[in-house]
Formats: sequence, structure tokens, C-alpha cells
Amino acid sequence: MAAFPSAVLGAAVLAAEEVSFVLVGSAALWLRNEIADVADADAVIEPGEGNIHRLRGALAGIAIGPVPSVDSLSRGSVVPVVTAYGKVDCLVERGRRDWGRLRRGAGFLLVADVPVLVASSTDAWNLRRRYKERENG
Amino acid sequence: MGERTGLGVVEIALLEALETSPFLRCDEALARVEERIGLAPGYAYEVLVDLARPWTMPVNLVQGQGNFGSRGNDPPANFRYTEARITRAGRAALAAERGEMAPLPIAIINGNTHRAGLRPPFRPHAVIDAVREAIKRPDVTDADLTGMVGLPYFLTGCTVTGDLTALAAGRPTELSLQAQVSISDDRRTVIIENIPPNISTDDTASIIASRASASRWANDHPGLHRIAHLPLADLRDETSDRSRPFGRIVCIPTPGTPPEQLREMLLDVTGVRTTMPVALARPLPALIRHWVQTNASEDLLASLAVLEHAIPSRSS
Repeated sequence: MAAFPSAVLGAAVLAAEEVSFVLVGSAALWLRNEIADVADADAVIEPGEGNIHRLRGALAGIAIGPVPSVDSLSRGSVVPVVTAYGKVDCLVERGRRDWGRLRRGAGFLLVADVPVLVASSTDAWNLRRRYKERENG
Repeated sequence: MGERTGLGVVEIALLEALETSPFLRCDEALARVEERIGLAPGYAYEVLVDLARPWTMPVNLVQGQGNFGSRGNDPPANFRYTEARITRAGRAALAAERGEMAPLPIAIINGNTHRAGLRPPFRPHAVIDAVREAIKRPDVTDADLTGMVGLPYFLTGCTVTGDLTALAAGRPTELSLQAQVSISDDRRTVIIENIPPNISTDDTASIIASRASASRWANDHPGLHRIAHLPLADLRDETSDRSRPFGRIVCIPTPGTPPEQLREMLLDVTGVRTTMPVALARPLPALIRHWVQTNASEDLLASLAVLEHAIPSRSS
């Protein structure tokens, strides 16, 4: 029935909760019709106190288990959260470093009736490659 | 790892610690393990709990008595308050390890996904049949062996789908594990049973409840609300350690929602459906042939018969 994978719905819920982020990773590439399988939602979070508070509030509504503190969401690197829509990786350090550049290349795509900011294909593939290389040592 | 069964050092030490007693208090068993291999009780207990939980692996080597936790998030009781004993299959494994009988393919059957490994479990009788066939008919085709073993098998009874060809060829792949979701005869409830093993039943219930709770954005985004929100009036987790250990969650649709609609939506919910990465060290037929060839000088048919009698029958 659902036309969207769970992780993409999770990203849409964050966007509906007015969290500012750029979706990258497999969910972004799925929305750009470039891959078939979505593992989780990788969200590059816009830095800023207000946005981090909105993020924490949104996660509190959908998290299964512990919700990360505002402090860890502000200062962490990658903060993984298990939610009712699968795992959401909050890429907060990437946001601190690259928000402006990623935001410029990104565009809004509709998930149901929610506009979700999705990284450009080039940025999404580049980041994915970088994380995979790091994972493989 | 034991070459003759594929069991780990800790598993073998635990079986040896339990073999002489009817039911032994786990703290005593763990003290014996520490004496034998120097592993602290806390670490060895994690392995013992896996062995004793009846839903973890197809060939149960240990039977537990007392609180070994649940399919939910309940942890086991401290090892001072639980007891365990070796099963018939456990005794057979130990005898095989000691060379008192021919080797047994226990590691092929049990896999190690229960310990976050990549090797999935298979139906015990299917593996036994395939090994027997490879012994009796060395020219049996790879396709026949793969077909005999079939897809991985989890004791919770979830439906397994995936690329068996890739798995059998030794390539990493991903399984999709699906709980059974049915509509009650009176059409008032949708029932979720046989929840996949890689998520707790408590977490599945929490996810469903979360997806059914009110959202601040529902009025602003009715389109998202329609596909993300579960039309659920109530939910009961009827999982029970004794009668329904593999999970049973009863969902009551909101008035006016056809149960078929709720069922369709639930089938896509994380926890009702999960994925599991899997891979075998080598192609499945090669794994079986290698095992047979390595142990060809021993009476494998006799040891397989012992194992077959030590595990539940095909129909159970």
C-alpha cells in the first residue's frame, strides 16, 4: 500500500515537524530514482539552537527507546536514533561543516504532501562514497 | 571453534560444565566455565542465555529453567537464580567434539545471526537430508542441494523471503522477515504473530503504538497523515513466555476502518517486517560438500541419525 519506504516517511515526518535538514544517503537517492533499496534516513541537520530543539522534539515523538539530548544533537558527529520509521542518522557534524554548500545544491521533493529537502545526486553519491570508504576502513 | 561441530569454545565449555548434572544452577556452571577457559561469568552467561532461550536457534543444546528473559525487552534473571541442563542434542554435540562419534553440522544449522553474525539458521531436517544426499550421491547437483536446504528458517515462524540464489552462491544479500498478519474471524481485530527474531516484541508494539498516536502536523499534511498514521483504536500485546513466546499483538482498527486496510498498512511497518543481512563463508552446496569430504573417513550417517533423533520431529 505505502508507495514510500519507511525511512522516507520518517524523513517526511521530520520535515512536517519543521526540522531543517538535507536528506542524503539511500533515502535521498531513492527519491531521485537512482537506487531501489532504502536502508535508513540520513539527515544532515542545519546547525542552530532552534532547529536542534525542533529536531529533539520531533524525535521524541517517533523514537523507540532513548531520545538523544539537545547537547549530543548539538555537539555530536553522527547521532543514530531508532524510530517508528526505522533508523534515522542525524549527521550533525556534517551540518556544522557543510550546511551552506549542501543546501545550495539541494532541492525540495514531495513525499505525499510534505516538501523534503533532498541533496543533489552528486552530493548524495559523494557523501555516500565517503561514508562507505570510512566504514570499510 | 570446534572443528567437528562448528561450536565456539565458550559453547563447548558450557556444555561440558552442564553435562554431569540434571539441572545445574547457572552460577555453578559459569564457575566451571571460568575454571576451564578463564572467561568471566558475565560474558559466558550471555552465551548460555542464547543457548537456553527456546526461540534462538533450531538445534537447542541447552534447556533453561527459570527466567531467561522474554521475546520482549525483559532481561534474564541473574545467574544465581536460573538453572540449565544439557539437551540430547547438546550431548550429541559434545560426543562429536570429543571424537566419540562422527562430526555433526550444528554450526551450519544454527548459524550465528542470533549473535549478530551473518550466517543464517536453516531447517535442521533439511540440512540433515542434504548432507545425507551428498554422502550417498556425490554427483548430486548444486541446485538439488540448495533446493533441499531451502531458505533460512527462524524459530519464531516468520516468513522469510530473499535472494536464495545469491545466498547459496556465497554472496552477501539481505533477507526480508515478515510476521504473520491476519484478520480475526469476527473481523474486529488484526492479529500480528510470529514476529521476526531480530526485533523484540515490545519494540514492535511500541512502533505500532507510535505510528498510531496523534501527530501535531496531521491537519497541515493530510496526505502524509493518510499513509504514515495507522488507523488504530487500541492495541494489546498478548505475547506470553509460555503460550505465545513468538509474539502476538492484537490491533483494533478505528471505527470505519476495514481490517484489510489496517492489515495492508501493518505489513509495511518496521518490526512487523524487518531485514537481515546474511552471507555464507562459501556457496551453500560447497559448504555441505566440503563438510562431507573433510569428515569422509567417519560414520557421518550414524551421527546424523543420532542428531535427527535428538531434535524435534519434522512435523512439530
